[in-house]
Amino acid sequence: MSPTGYPWPIETARLDNGLRVVVSEDRTAPVAAVNIWYDVGSRHEPDGQTGFAHLFEHLMFEGSEHVAKTEHMRFIQGAGGSLNATTNPDRTNYFETVPSEHLELALWLEADRMGGLVPALTQETLDNQREVVKNERRQRYDNVPYGDAWLRLLPLLYPPGHPYHHATIGSMDDLNAADLPTFAAFHTRYYAPNNAVLSVVGDVVAADVFALAEKYFGGLPSRPDIPPAPDGTRPAPPTGPVREDVVGEVPAPRLYLAQRTHPFGTPEYDAVTVLATILGNGRGSRLYQRLADGARLAQPDFVSAYGVDLAHAPAPLIVSATARDGVSAADLEVGLVEVLDGLGDVGPEEIDRAKALLATAWWRQVSTVAGRADVLSRYATQFGDPARAGDRLPAWQAVTPEAVARAAAELSPEARVTLTYLPEEKNA
Amino acid sequence: MSLVAERPGPGAARPYRFPEVVRRDGVVAAHLPGQALAIAILLLDAGAGREPAGREGLAAVVAKALEEGTTRRDSAAYALALESLGAELFTSADWDSFRVGVQAPVDRLPEALALLAEATRTPRLDPADVARVRDDEATALRMDWADPGPRAEAALRADLFGRDQRHGRPLHGDPDSVAAISVDDVVGYHRTWFGQPGTLVVAGDLTSVDLDALGATVFAGAGGPVEGAGGPLPIEPRSSRRVVIVDRPGSVQSTLRLGHAAPHRAHPDHVPMTLAATVLGGAFTSRLNHLIREVRGYTYGIRGEFGQSKRFGRLLVSSGVQTAVTVPALVDTVGEVSRTAAEGVTEEELAVARSWRAGQLSVELQTPGAIAGALATLVVHDLPDDYHATLRAALLAADEATVSGAAARHLNPAGLTLVVEGDAAVIRDELVASGLGDVVDARP
Repeated sequence: MSPTGYPWPIETARLDNGLRVVVSEDRTAPVAAVNIWYDVGSRHEPDGQTGFAHLFEHLMFEGSEHVAKTEHMRFIQGAGGSLNATTNPDRTNYFETVPSEHLELALWLEADRMGGLVPALTQETLDNQREVVKNERRQRYDNVPYGDAWLRLLPLLYPPGHPYHHATIGSMDDLNAADLPTFAAFHTRYYAPNNAVLSVVGDVVAADVFALAEKYFGGLPSRPDIPPAPDGTRPAPPTGPVREDVVGEVPAPRLYLAQRTHPFGTPEYDAVTVLATILGNGRGSRLYQRLADGARLAQPDFVSAYGVDLAHAPAPLIVSATARDGVSAADLEVGLVEVLDGLGDVGPEEIDRAKALLATAWWRQVSTVAGRADVLSRYATQFGDPARAGDRLPAWQAVTPEAVARAAAELSPEARVTLTYLPEEKNA
Repeated sequence: MSLVAERPGPGAARPYRFPEVVRRDGVVAAHLPGQALAIAILLLDAGAGREPAGREGLAAVVAKALEEGTTRRDSAAYALALESLGAELFTSADWDSFRVGVQAPVDRLPEALALLAEATRTPRLDPADVARVRDDEATALRMDWADPGPRAEAALRADLFGRDQRHGRPLHGDPDSVAAISVDDVVGYHRTWFGQPGTLVVAGDLTSVDLDALGATVFAGAGGPVEGAGGPLPIEPRSSRRVVIVDRPGSVQSTLRLGHAAPHRAHPDHVPMTLAATVLGGAFTSRLNHLIREVRGYTYGIRGEFGQSKRFGRLLVSSGVQTAVTVPALVDTVGEVSRTAAEGVTEEELAVARSWRAGQLSVELQTPGAIAGALATLVVHDLPDDYHATLRAALLAADEATVSGAAARHLNPAGLTLVVEGDAAVIRDELVASGLGDVVDARP
């Protein structure tokens, strides 16, 4: 096993305005990945402004001081590049992969929207992208069976006022109520060079990238007073099991059992990651072997267990199963709980299987320059050092049977959130 | 604040080189130095096009049944053996091929491939297991079919190609066709189609990989090759539009699937057709996405592309729009297809489409998985080793007249089928009044 999960060079610099620049050369293919993490996510949103961070991600593609509406996409795609962005509770990231001769174009575009978005914001753009986001919500959450499970789980897992209490897609009422100056203020507050990490990976020379970063980003002012998100690291302990039943247009009963564990990046969470893999990843997993194959309670294609890798508060572990024909939600729950409560006897071959699958998953993630750039931005943003990206795989490999047993013991029924979907009774 | 006002031009380009294609008996490989993972895929001429009528989805059931134990070990032992290597079996069936593959750290590849061969060539296929897998697959399809999309797709296929044709029915079948599959169907399909040698595709760091040994592993005991499936099927262009409603009561969106029949993959217009469709709906900057999403705000996204396999093809435009704007979104969509057919593309749009498609070859073809997929394309469509280099040149050389000509020849706005999966009670009258085409209900 590789002693590091990141066997490529990493060089870093920090501009005077606080922008951290990370470069990792790999001249294998003539492409360069550019990735920026802004340390702002839905956890920063106050009451009444939910969904702002995500809507802002949309607005960032609609033009900036020197880039007309529609040009951002056209320039990148016209250069042969791919681009996108995502928002989650922790952060917002923007990324593109381009043939390497177009690196400078990508940096210019990123700098222009970091420093020059506000002058380009118009009411028309805001109104249009608000509609696009509402369509995104309909398509991803409202029009799909079980699509709103994540939206329902978060407020059950985290108390009101906790930064993870509300979902990133936000409330449509909040989005409707917001005016243009409020959005402009959001950008001014958070989109600053000292609140961002810029990673460039691929067919580049580190010294050139640092010089280009200085050229395009160096003139942007840092902001001294960026307000931190509310502290969510120590939420009030759960006071007992929580349940929610949803009756709706779903084809079969489905259960989600969830609970808070530990923040991503801690050794305790590494053990949760290994445990989740033992539990729900692959045909050799406990859920597959015992619930789908053994007791025949669950549909084999729909058992899962995974941690959601959030770093600023105890991250959730989510375990899910969907009932086979003729199996009731109650019977499925008994079986699922039995598997969870029986995790005290995990054997060494199960741990080895999980570690092997995690190693493959890791190497797949870093097999592209874009995947590597995102990993570097994450570790620089959340742990202060991109080189710590190399630690995750060895940390997973180092998880001991005792640590897995402790993680299993912490899956207490008292801390459990149970979300059940039940099909509507049809009157024939 | 100081931003650089002027957009920088490109630096000196470094050419992309597709890795050298290594061919041995039945093995097609590419060497990717330094990659930690390697991938191997066995390609069999056993795709959905081979499935008998009324048994659509059979290839997928066979795929699942392969992992239910082998003549050497039961399913739990098999899963543990494979997953302890960090590998999982992945299978897929498209119209032209059946694929079974493994991805693993390169030093584990021979063991993982031996397990792949064991499942593919010598599955146990115990009748009770096969029946259970079939039932599970039918249930899984019912789950999928509860989502918006599959029913609309089935209605479009049925209308474009006819239910009496295999490609007029869903690629992966429907809950009923899968439920109708018998144990004998599964055993028979495996016997007929999984004895052929097939082709093994390998991508990864081959420094310490013995390709001949890998080939010997998967070809051991195989029989002879199978007869080809036949040439391209004829297309009959239509001259009137029709609207097919798939009722989804209470839906907050209308799921749109528009299309018409189009040429097969090997058609000489493949490259200009690809570029015309890119301008129409293939990229974020496309005409459809610009108008329907960015200007109108009707949707989260809309795409248009030609889907092409060895024997047939089609134009497909897909989107989901809010219910209240169903008709305006359809009118705009048909309008953009019509405009593109009638007026062609502009040089400015084409420049973006060309360089995007060409650049994507460099950007996308980085990983063992992507390279293996590209090798599989060579195998399935009998393309030469320099195909990707030639494709890049052809994309960059396509001029406006050629691409506009392909748009005029292969886009048929007057013959489109417009499938709308949504709340019929809310949208039917407006659809009828729109004059977009005759309105019919999808057969249940």
